[in-house]
Amino acid sequence: MRIQLLIPLTALCVVLAAASARSDEPPAGQAAETPGRPIPTADDYAFFESRIRPLLVEHCHECHSRQAETPQAGLLLDNADGIARGGDSGPAVVPGRPDDSLLIQAVRYTHELVQMPPAGQLPEAAIAELAAWVERGAPFPPTTGPDLSSAGQPVAGQPIDIEQGKQFWSFRPLVEVPPAPAAGQAWIERRIDAYLMATMQTSGLSPSPRADRRTLIRRASFDLVGLPPTPEEIEAFVRDDSPDAYARLIERLLASPHYGERWGRYWLDLVRYCDVPEPWAGSGAAWLYRDWIVDALNRDLPYDRFVTLQLAADHVPDARVEDIAALGFLGLSPTYWKELKLAPGVIQVVVAEEWEERVNTLTSTLLGVTVACARCHDHKFDPVAQHDYYALAGVLASTRLVPRPLLPAGEAAGLLATLDELRTMQAQVDKLLAQNPVPPEDKTKADELKAQIKALRKATPAIDEPLAFAVDDASVHVLPDGPHRTMVEYRAGQAQDVPLHIRGNPLNPGDVVPRRFLAVLSQGTPEPFQHGSGRLDLAQAIFDDAAPLAARVMVNRVWRHHFGRGLVETPSNFGAQGDRPTHPELLDDLAARFIAGGWSLKWLHREIMLSAAWRQQSTPHADGQAVDPDNRHLWRMNRRRLEVEAWRDAMLAACDSLDRSIGGPPAELNEPANRRRTIYGTVKRRELADLLRLYDFPDPTAHSPARLPTTTPLQQLYVLNSPFIGRQAELLAARLQSERPADTKAQVSRAHQLLFGREPTVGEVTIAREFLAQAGEAGGEPSAVAEAWRQYLEVLLASNELMFID
Amino acid sequence: MIHPSPPISDPLAAAGISRREALSRLGGGLGTLSLATLLAADAGGAVHATHFAPRAKRVIQLFMNGGPFQADLFDPKPAINQYAGQRPDTVNLRTENATGGLMPVPFAFTPSGSSGLPVSDLLPNFQRVIDDVCVLRSLHTDNPNHGPALFMMNNGTIIPTRPSMGSWFLYGLGTENENLPGYVVLCPGRPVRFAELWTSAFLPGEHQGTYINHSQLDPRQMISFLRHASREPSVQSRQIELLKRLEQERSLGRAGDDALDARLRAMEVAFRMQFAATDAFQLEAEPAAVREEYGEGHFANACLLARRLSERGVRFVQVYYGNGQPWDTHTNHNEQTKKLCADIDRPMAALLMDLKRRGLLADTLVIWGGEFGRTPVSEGGDGRDHNHFGFTMWLAGGGVRGGMAYGATDEFGFRAVENRLHIHDLHATILHLLGLDHERLTYRYAGRDFRLTDVYGRVVPDILA
Repeated sequence: MRIQLLIPLTALCVVLAAASARSDEPPAGQAAETPGRPIPTADDYAFFESRIRPLLVEHCHECHSRQAETPQAGLLLDNADGIARGGDSGPAVVPGRPDDSLLIQAVRYTHELVQMPPAGQLPEAAIAELAAWVERGAPFPPTTGPDLSSAGQPVAGQPIDIEQGKQFWSFRPLVEVPPAPAAGQAWIERRIDAYLMATMQTSGLSPSPRADRRTLIRRASFDLVGLPPTPEEIEAFVRDDSPDAYARLIERLLASPHYGERWGRYWLDLVRYCDVPEPWAGSGAAWLYRDWIVDALNRDLPYDRFVTLQLAADHVPDARVEDIAALGFLGLSPTYWKELKLAPGVIQVVVAEEWEERVNTLTSTLLGVTVACARCHDHKFDPVAQHDYYALAGVLASTRLVPRPLLPAGEAAGLLATLDELRTMQAQVDKLLAQNPVPPEDKTKADELKAQIKALRKATPAIDEPLAFAVDDASVHVLPDGPHRTMVEYRAGQAQDVPLHIRGNPLNPGDVVPRRFLAVLSQGTPEPFQHGSGRLDLAQAIFDDAAPLAARVMVNRVWRHHFGRGLVETPSNFGAQGDRPTHPELLDDLAARFIAGGWSLKWLHREIMLSAAWRQQSTPHADGQAVDPDNRHLWRMNRRRLEVEAWRDAMLAACDSLDRSIGGPPAELNEPANRRRTIYGTVKRRELADLLRLYDFPDPTAHSPARLPTTTPLQQLYVLNSPFIGRQAELLAARLQSERPADTKAQVSRAHQLLFGREPTVGEVTIAREFLAQAGEAGGEPSAVAEAWRQYLEVLLASNELMFID
Repeated sequence: MIHPSPPISDPLAAAGISRREALSRLGGGLGTLSLATLLAADAGGAVHATHFAPRAKRVIQLFMNGGPFQADLFDPKPAINQYAGQRPDTVNLRTENATGGLMPVPFAFTPSGSSGLPVSDLLPNFQRVIDDVCVLRSLHTDNPNHGPALFMMNNGTIIPTRPSMGSWFLYGLGTENENLPGYVVLCPGRPVRFAELWTSAFLPGEHQGTYINHSQLDPRQMISFLRHASREPSVQSRQIELLKRLEQERSLGRAGDDALDARLRAMEVAFRMQFAATDAFQLEAEPAAVREEYGEGHFANACLLARRLSERGVRFVQVYYGNGQPWDTHTNHNEQTKKLCADIDRPMAALLMDLKRRGLLADTLVIWGGEFGRTPVSEGGDGRDHNHFGFTMWLAGGGVRGGMAYGATDEFGFRAVENRLHIHDLHATILHLLGLDHERLTYRYAGRDFRLTDVYGRVVPDILA
């Protein structure tokens, strides 16, 4: 049944659900003819056929019959069984009691939630007849043909078979299958290569030759630090004959403090990071979270610890004070406006939407399971029950978003109390001074208060300490606040289990579901969470019970960024609707060794980048192209397009204007003079900077599994006309002029080294000379020369070679 | 997943960038391209096949942000005045703010056109075009709060995380003129929610709306980076020629790469867009008589711009009436409404007549309305509160039956009671008019198929021409 006033706007989830699984529901088919009720007479049936069935057919069957494509709310009104069993909200009729029957309340439009038909009320006579029919006991003639109601109709709702669900590839334990011995041993550098070689050979493919040194250092630099190598670094690497030159290069890059910036940004996409959240979300320092991520990656914090601190730093006994910043994962969750003048029911819907977003971000990021699909009904494709969703929603219903300074708990509480006090005092001052005119005694009072504020600030050494977007344990409750308002109450230190919302509607609660982990990923029956909200228990379950899946998902993300294609191409969906791995044994082998090696991400980078596979050329060869044009077997490296961050940073670096300082408050990217790395550009949740908006930066209102690169004319308008590009060209021109004065060929050469890490070809030099001469260099007049160079360098900056990595 | 567009796993194809064609074009004129040849290239787009024959090819939405009161304009309710000051049970509904008794409507209605549909005397010009208009009197939405209601109208949910209606249009239909953005948002300022209202969310970024503040009428000020601050077009065309020569030099001996070619081609389109967009936004190019017909003011300008963009193949032009939410008349409702109506009447009528004269109305759908309506009961004596229980919108052109009213509110115009239309139903019907089945226009994201209409929505056949 369509809920009229408060529609849970969940995703398109196909309606397949069971009616609620409450155990106290009467078994199907009994209600219509309960013992003690008069047995229907022929007259009853005649009444039904003449008055009621036509009504049902005309007004209800479109949505509530076996003819409907998806019976709404799981309710069938074309057979006795369906009427008796009802839909998600329970039986449609209570025979003999029209006033208590949902069907009658709905057609009368007196039910709070359900008003049917949706397009408008039935005529009064029709409503009266339906009521009379229920009064008679809702007689429904037995069907003569086969009863189809239980013949695999979606409403039958098969319970999820957890044991069978655990057999799905991604939910199984890791299976370590050693790579099949293959020819081509000489090519193999790492275990990865052995797996890849085996499948290549099966398909009649052979790997590509190793890329040259220039290509490798450029590729490795962009991969690990997101910046181009300097011409000097390139030359040194090209000339380094020692056998471990390449391994040392990788180590140097992994040790760079810019590594965390590059890989931190990938993580921030997943967790919908922003610097400026919703206007009502407070003005904390979101960047503390961003900087914590960058630093944690630079320290190679084990991935399990990395995530555990993000979920529950406030519960981890040996967490450092700085680790409170890690709570930004949840602390920066989107929040939706709660208009407290509206009824509690309206606000409950908004709160439920927030839970869904958080469950989705958590499970998609960490487990590659789309648990949020189970908000309204059991997952259609994966073994995730609606109960599983609410078991996790309870964790979020027990977690409150709070500002917190990075100070020990006691000091933090003290500072927050002081800040509260200051706010109250300031509000008093504002109120006093808002009068017109301000009575002299109030002016005096305000001045006194101002002095007190000043003194209190002075007496509080930590007063300017930035506040992290953190979380703590508190259960949320939406309650009436008098007859006309609503309040959202948090009970500090408390946790709660929440009831399942029938069909996702918070106003239609079902069983209360204990907070616990997903059944299909649990070893044995999942136990209720013990510690507070359950965030720490959740983290532990992810890295204990679900470690194989958590490792597979993260290994695949890292792999995908290195190769431009995942072993699983749906990085946040390892479920039935997701892609299957191209190399399942390789994925399991890497995941198992990732765990065994202490969840070290730097180990994983090393393992991948030292492989022969990663060092291949990207140029396709005809044999490979014929057999496997999509390069699923990795018989060559993929050419990859740089993300907007690396593209902009590369321009700044080449033009020698990059500010390489790490961390701190963000800076506006629309400001052409901004020289900081793009990760430090201000991300506003509700309005992205032009550059980010144009270049496929993910919408920070929700988890982004992967960026979807687009190529649009608006992007190229940016290249043609933005002050940023013009400014970079100008800076580069000045750099060339100062480093290689008055030597066109040397300048062209230097430009190519800086931008593309190579010498120009003879043809490129000729073309450059022609263009420059025509553009005004020939005359030698300094401003004309400068302009000619700007025009030329703008074109180099627009080149594909700056945006694509071989 | 069934969708009418090319497989979405291929962003280049989705971007409407053809491959071999692009390559051959690149090879063709090397070294000989001039400004003239660059500009002469055809402006066709990549139009996708629809689910069924479309009645409308493009949409203009006139968004009365803030929410107008239905019974002032298109849904006369004499009972309001009859029971003025009283608060019968029917109107005892909870909205955002505390409300009192019924507040009389001081505006008269005239049966208009040959259809005789009543239109408020506040809209004398619009009365003349009513025979082309289908008045929907039974809209209702989920939340009486501006933000959620704006999201519902634009994105089909009360939260800001789903693609906007316009981005679904573009995703489904493709573009007719790739020299212009396919989805343009005009507002002389900013509505109270911003980029979320025209976001593409998880749809490819190319489908997002291009927001333009047209209070500045210089086209160079309207679109970011539309024109270079100082560079002459002839210089830019030489730069593009250089770019192509260099790219060809670099790719010698290598197979073509579609992704690289696509970027070069997008550069050519961008170059042309500078002039195409400048031209499209050049209101001065309109004859004085046409300017006169539309009248003056930001809204008049927006209506005229909408026509210029529509005739050039822009799929969706969404016009927000004004900065903030001018129709949000919590106080001094009647006086404000008079002024607002005086401002919209002439341009609205002119737009429909102009489209009709040019033969565009037949396949251009025009939508009018706010994110909700207002209450027949008073707020604070002279204001009206938000009303999500029932409100009016109208549609015109694009396969809609003109001169009819659909649905009804109760006797006081508070709540939709007959042929109720939820926003999902409106969306389903609009997509239907565009040739798209709202249940089949889906996008697979994060493991689920998403639709503009979520799991709801029904097409309303009664209003189709």
